[in-house]
Amino acid sequence: MLADITIGQYFPGNSVLHRMDPRVKLILTFVYIIAVFFPKNWLGLALATAYLIFSVCCSRLPLRLVWKSIRPILPLIMITSALNIFYSSKGVELFHWGFLRITSGGLITAAFIAVRILCLIAGSSLLTYTTSPTTLTDALERLLRPLKALHINVHELSMMMTIALRFIPTLIEETDKIMSAQKARGADMESGGLLQRIRALIPVLIPLFVSSFRRAYELATAMECRCYHGGDGRTRMKQLHMTQLDGWCLLSMILLIAGVVALNFLIPAVL
Amino acid sequence: MPLLEVNNLTYIYSPGTPYEKTAMKDVSLTVEEGDFIGVIGHTGSGKSTLVQHLNGLLKPSSGTVTLAGRDIWAEPKKIRDIRFQVGLVFQYPEHQLFEETVEKDIAFGPKNMGLAQEEITARVIRAARFVGLREELLDKSPFELSGGEKRRVAIAGVMAMEPRILILDEPTAGLDPKGRDMILDQIGAYQRETGATVLLVSHSMEDIARTAKKVLVMSSGTVAMYDETGEVFSRAEELTGLGLAIPAVTRVALLLKQKGMDLGAGIYTVEQARDRLLPLLTKGGASHAR
Repeated sequence: MLADITIGQYFPGNSVLHRMDPRVKLILTFVYIIAVFFPKNWLGLALATAYLIFSVCCSRLPLRLVWKSIRPILPLIMITSALNIFYSSKGVELFHWGFLRITSGGLITAAFIAVRILCLIAGSSLLTYTTSPTTLTDALERLLRPLKALHINVHELSMMMTIALRFIPTLIEETDKIMSAQKARGADMESGGLLQRIRALIPVLIPLFVSSFRRAYELATAMECRCYHGGDGRTRMKQLHMTQLDGWCLLSMILLIAGVVALNFLIPAVL
Repeated sequence: MPLLEVNNLTYIYSPGTPYEKTAMKDVSLTVEEGDFIGVIGHTGSGKSTLVQHLNGLLKPSSGTVTLAGRDIWAEPKKIRDIRFQVGLVFQYPEHQLFEETVEKDIAFGPKNMGLAQEEITARVIRAARFVGLREELLDKSPFELSGGEKRRVAIAGVMAMEPRILILDEPTAGLDPKGRDMILDQIGAYQRETGATVLLVSHSMEDIARTAKKVLVMSSGTVAMYDETGEVFSRAEELTGLGLAIPAVTRVALLLKQKGMDLGAGIYTVEQARDRLLPLLTKGGASHAR
């Protein structure tokens, strides 16, 4: 059960997406997430979706993996778009019952929202699937460096993120182990009502907290032993370099946005 | 009828994924009531996977585990009852302590069994005595104790369920020699007093030589040897071939034999070596005097 969690799961590879500069990839993902909200007609939305599908193909990831990232949020998408059905009052009225009105405009809004959220999730998981967590935080640190002017310690923040990401699998393993140990003492985690199940988690959560603190202290000591003293004067073993590839990717994103905006002007909006 | 039977057990981790791994291959063995079995093997040889099958924490991919003639997975809903009969102490068990007091933590297992309060209290006191915990510690928080004491609280937590079979996975890992000796002695005393069946998983040949009557050697998910302790240690070369060290004294005896001084077979504790060496020395001393 715990093995199914895929947050930040990096899938090693050597595709175009894997070889991109993580900074460019991060920015483009961010821009893409904004860009999926631009289209005002079906063709524009199709173009934005096609761009994502093309990227997924370029990444050479198994499609099962992309599906795995979308599946858990399907209920959320359904609820969101279902609520949106009732928000719009544009278009032809299709159904009326009390205060509930369904219009063609509402249905279109719902569909747009569903596709947008799907693109958003798939796009951002594409980033985490093709970039290792450490590379990602490296990129983030580099990109946020200007914030130093505001006396925000970017290095420490990114170090915290790296450590947090690094320890997710460790904690999952630890949880599994503690759960087994308590089950061996007859803990019952699979039956009973909600309250009973929450109570059954206490014997797992307390040891987990205790061991997290222990790990934190140990890690801090280990880092100090290796003379870690924050980001000042620290050099990098792997320097980030932008290549021609990144240029092409950037260009493709510009073309996508230009295309979507142009379509917004050329074709009447359906929203 | 043997107390515990494992028949053609095979276990595959994460089947159908890229991480698929066969951890157990067609393992069969029997455990008799009252046995004290040392389980030894390399890291990744399948020791821990095996013992987690014996109390139903893992379900075999194929094959069966039978406890007193009943397949433990015959009624999956009642698997908890199996866990009360086959107590398993995990590696570094002190990491699973969670209650406010030592007493409550030891009582966790018996409480899950649904015993009456008096019975629980009696069992907690009995278990604490087995592992040599002083009674005034029972009211303390388990987090205030020393590492060795925590370990003993955790072991007591499983002993308090009074299982027919007690399995301990590396109970001495990370302890100093004194703490190690103490825990091994206590496990031995527990077995003699209760007549329980004990399986002791360990890396240390010395630990196993001291306590176990039988030794089960695991190697890459299969049973490499399963015999009386003396028999297993007499196959020193095979053991070395499996990457396992024989007890240091046994090695000394073997080297002495190569040099022409035969102490006889079956030396695997310091006491045995002493008992064989002393008569030889006095004899040698007498011949010198002459």
